[in-house]
Formats: sequence, C-alpha cells, structure tokens
Amino acid sequence: MRRHRLSAVLVAVWLGAGACATAPGDGDASLADEGGTAPGLIAPGAGPGVPLVPDLSPGQRPALATDEAGWWMVMDRTESKLKTAGNLVRDEALNRYVKGIVCRLAGPYCPDIRVYLLRVPYFNASMAPNGVMVVWTGLLLRTRNEAQLAAVLGHELGHYLRRHTLHRWRDAKSTTNALIFFQIGAALGGVPVAGQIASLIAMGSITAFSRDQERESDRMGLRLMAEIGYDPRESAKLWQNLIREDEADEDKKTRFIFFSTHPAPEERSETLKRLAEDALKASPAVETGDERFRNIVLPHRQEYLRDELRLRRFSRSEELLKMLLEDGVDAGELHFFRGELYRLRGKKADGDKEGDTDDKDKALAAYAKALDAGGAPPEIHRSMGLIYLKSGQSEKAWAAFAKYLELSPDADDLEIIKSMMQPMG
Amino acid sequence: MLGRGGLITVLIFSLALAGCEVASFYAKEKLERGNKTAHVLLMTPDVQLGEVTAGGLVEPNAEWTAIAEKHVVAALKEQLAKRKSRLVLYRSPKADTPKARIHTQLIKLHNAVGSSILLHKFASPPLPTKEDKFDWTLGPQARIVGHEYGADYALFVYLRDTYTSPGRVAVMVLAAVLGVGVPGGAQIGFASLVDLKTGDVLWFSRLARASGDLRTPSAAAESVKTLLKDFPL
Repeated sequence: MRRHRLSAVLVAVWLGAGACATAPGDGDASLADEGGTAPGLIAPGAGPGVPLVPDLSPGQRPALATDEAGWWMVMDRTESKLKTAGNLVRDEALNRYVKGIVCRLAGPYCPDIRVYLLRVPYFNASMAPNGVMVVWTGLLLRTRNEAQLAAVLGHELGHYLRRHTLHRWRDAKSTTNALIFFQIGAALGGVPVAGQIASLIAMGSITAFSRDQERESDRMGLRLMAEIGYDPRESAKLWQNLIREDEADEDKKTRFIFFSTHPAPEERSETLKRLAEDALKASPAVETGDERFRNIVLPHRQEYLRDELRLRRFSRSEELLKMLLEDGVDAGELHFFRGELYRLRGKKADGDKEGDTDDKDKALAAYAKALDAGGAPPEIHRSMGLIYLKSGQSEKAWAAFAKYLELSPDADDLEIIKSMMQPMG
Repeated sequence: MLGRGGLITVLIFSLALAGCEVASFYAKEKLERGNKTAHVLLMTPDVQLGEVTAGGLVEPNAEWTAIAEKHVVAALKEQLAKRKSRLVLYRSPKADTPKARIHTQLIKLHNAVGSSILLHKFASPPLPTKEDKFDWTLGPQARIVGHEYGADYALFVYLRDTYTSPGRVAVMVLAAVLGVGVPGGAQIGFASLVDLKTGDVLWFSRLARASGDLRTPSAAAESVKTLLKDFPL
C-alpha cells in the first residue's frame, strides 16, 4: 500500500482499507471443534477455544447515531468514488465469477457485500465495514486456483463478519486517549521522555492487535472455504508462494516486520497448514476449482503480466513467472513474458556466475521456448526484432518485424515499426 | 502531490497562522448579468462532521452530517436568493451511463484543479506562472453540464466541521497548564464558482476557523454567509 504522510490521513486510510483490530488473543482453538456459523449471534470477542461467530447479522446496518454509522458513511462515499474509478475492472464474466465465490462463502451475508476489482499490480484485497470488498488484479495474478482465491476472499469476509474496523477504531481511540493523558501526567511530573516511550508502546500495541485480527480472519476464512468444499490446504500454499516471491526480492524493501499489519508470513503459513489438517479431519474438502479459474481468470493474465513487468521489480517477477510455469498452463505465454523481463532488464552476464549469459540471450532463448510452446502474442516478433536490431543483425530484425506486422496488421505502432525497417543511410 | 485529506490537514495546521477566517480569490470582483436572474447549479455538497477525541483522532458522525447537509443547502438557497440568483440542485445521473461518465470527469477535474488552487494559492508557495493571476479553468466541456440544467454557473462546496469532545476539553485545559496549545474542533471548507460557458473558475473561497457549528440552522447560515463573503454574484 502507498504510504501516506500525515497521521490523520493514515488513520482514515488504515481504517478504510478494511484493516483490523480486536479480540483478545484467539489462541489455539482448533477448527474441528467449532460449530457451524450462527448468523445473528453477537459474539463478545473470541477467547481461546471460543468458536468464532459473526459479530453482526445479515442485512444489519448501524443506527445513525453510532460511531459505526460514521465509518459506514465515510466508506459509502469512498464506494461512490470506486464506482467511477478509472482502473475499475468492468469485465462482466470476471466480476460475476469473483462475486459468485464471495456469495458462496458469505452465505446469508451475500447481499451485504459488494465486490470491486481494481487494476492494480500488487497483491492485495481489502474489506470495508460497509461491505465493500476491493480486490486488486495483482492478487488474481498470484492465486493459482479458485480455492486460493477463495482463501483470500474468505479472509476478507472474516474482517467484515467480525467487524474488525469498528473494533480497531474503538481500540485506537482508547489507546490514543490513554496515551495523551499519560503524556500530560508524565510532563506534569517532569518526565518528558516517558511520553515518547509510551507513544512507541502504543503504536506497537495497535499493530499487535491488528495482527490478532488478521489471525482471526485467517481462521474464519479457512473455515468458510472448507465448509463449501474448497481444499483448505490451498490457503497455506498461497502464503508459501508469496514467501517464495518475497525471498527472491533482491531489494528486500517490502518486508518490515514491526509495522507490518499481518502476522509474519512464515508463522501464518504454518498456522494455516495446521488448521487445514484439523479442518480436513472434520470434513474432507478437496475442491480446487482449477478449470473454472483457468477459463475465467487466465484469459486476463497477459494484461496482468504486462502490468507486473512495468513495476520493474525483476527479481520478484522472475520468481513469480517461474512458479506460474510450474503449473504449466499456457507455457508459451509465460515464456514470452520471461523473455520480456530479460529484454527490459538488459543485464550483462554475471562473470562470477558460471554459465550466466547476457539478458538479451536469455530473452532470445525464452522467446524460442515461447514460439515452440505456442500461445505467445504477436509482439514476440517485435521484441525479437528489437533485440536483433540492437545487436546489429538488421536482416534478422526486419524479418521479425515483418512477421509481427503480418500477424497484427492493425498494430498501433505500425508506422514506427515500418520506419525501423528502412535501411539506414 | 498531497491527497485531499493531506491538503485539509495542511490547512488545519495553517489555521493558527492565518490571520483571517475566510480568504478568497476571484477572476472578476463582480459578475455582469444585467437584470437576469443567475442560475447556479449546486453540485452535491461534500459535508462531513465529526468529533475530536481526547487523543486527537476525528470520529466521523453520520447523524450530524445528515443534519448539516440539510442546513447547508437551505442556507445556500437563502444566500443566493438575496443575490437575485436561483439555486438549482444537482442530481447525479444513473451510474455507468455515458452522461454519468461526463459528469464524473468534470467533478474529478474540479477536484484536481481545486486542490491545486488550495495548495498554491492558500498554503504553499505559488506556482510561478500563476503568482499574480487567477485564471484556472476546467475547459469548455463544462458547457455540457450547464446546458443540461439550464444553469449559468456551478457552485462546489466542501465543508469539514469537528467538535471538541469533553475528553478533549480536559486535555486542552491540562495542556494549557503546561503552556502547550492543543487544538480542539475546527471548521474548514472551501467553495468555488465555475462559469458553465467557459469552464473558468471565477471565484474560490476558503474558510478555516476554530468556531462555528453546522448542526443548528442559524449557526450553519452564519458559516455559509462567511464562506460566501466576496461572492461575485
């Protein structure tokens, strides 16, 4: 998420983005001994061993005079802006598909949830207290089947069903209230430094609470997905894949544990694995929904991969493409984007690494694989042409450009390419 | 660039430094219109009320906001009637229609232009090309909306009003003992008038003060009157 400068904005955004915060430690309650969801029951925070039940009933709206209504109002306004967002994904089939999964997970709460898909190339989804769920396309690129997508959607629903935003707001309010009186007391007692220490502790406790909420949502999401037959083990797999991508990141900029709002990914993945085993003992759920996912989400993958490469975080993207290739679906397309990655990175061979080659050679090798496998877009010939041109092989370049224009005669860059095909001089 | 929320925060901080409650810029001091009644299209006012907690967070309040929206519209109607102008209320067209898309673009463009005016005319150093000028415009496309409503001008209003909670009052008193000033509730906002024939921003006014109350009709009327001081109609 983008970082905002000012604390007031930060608080608003942080709450709006369906972040989180309540419930004294949810401990080790296993999924197996939890009953089914009991809509309409109001649960006063789930302690260890206490089953997680929704904190609001279907169709529930807050009374106008409450703090909750205030946040609903703020998010209703944000929602009206979302509806006209330039990067809103309008593809009907895709929207229907994601909303359909949400509906099956949400059961009687389905009419309370609105899903907005936004074209943003990072892995994220968020849940607002008024039922607005936002899913970014960078997430659709990384979930590998319907069950993994359901795992995230179920997690977000967990935030809604447990009214995490409201609890976090109340928590932030009482924390900051206590803090300011402590600061004044400390200052009156002549200890100005104590105030700063307290402020640090308070910040820590706000994020710690939010991690508890994330854990709670993880459990809730896992149960929701298992109840309607999705293989709960897919949830941990998704997190493992994200960890792999994170570890491949040469910049290591993305991990900052203290302020990260989610539990440490390794811990999360381990917990999810354990909870999945428990859930499987209770009821065998094995559906992964591979085929539907392939038919509806994967046709958009080229678009998402283009967005991904524009971020120029090549080490991450390289690992991501490697993982996607493990599934082997539309390998030609994936090899093409591997080629694009190397072409855009344009690194020289690492002399210390045995057998390492220049990126342009890696790119050409990847393009060759792509052509072999089939399914790469026509631009592959343009990309090859550009590499040949750069390395002085004009004849080869022109042949590649000609092939590109033959395959896409209406290309936007038709004139540019034609001009590049004129012999120099 | 700062987002809207960031700008507002900047304005709150500049509140203490600002000498006056309201300040405005205009392209023309008075708009010529002969004996004709001017039709002013009021774009949906963006009003939000909330309470400052002891710790300094702002809790939005839906009930107060709903009340304030009514008072603000009523007060604007009254103010314009005094200026031989008529207020026409804007209604958002059905979402996702071509009409809605055109309107949305105009509103978003005004948000962007308005943010620049706020930032460069009221808060930070002025843009070198606009230092002594007030010539901001949304472009002639604004005509489409004007034509639809038979309106001459569009009026955009943005108001944020916060109130000091009892806990915050205690903090303010205790901090005062220490010689530290802690802010309580504040009323901030802006209004802008756009020519719907040319798209030019004719007038832009900013209100920033530690008093006012949009929850009662008379105090809301006073706020709107203050905001519209120097209104060119």
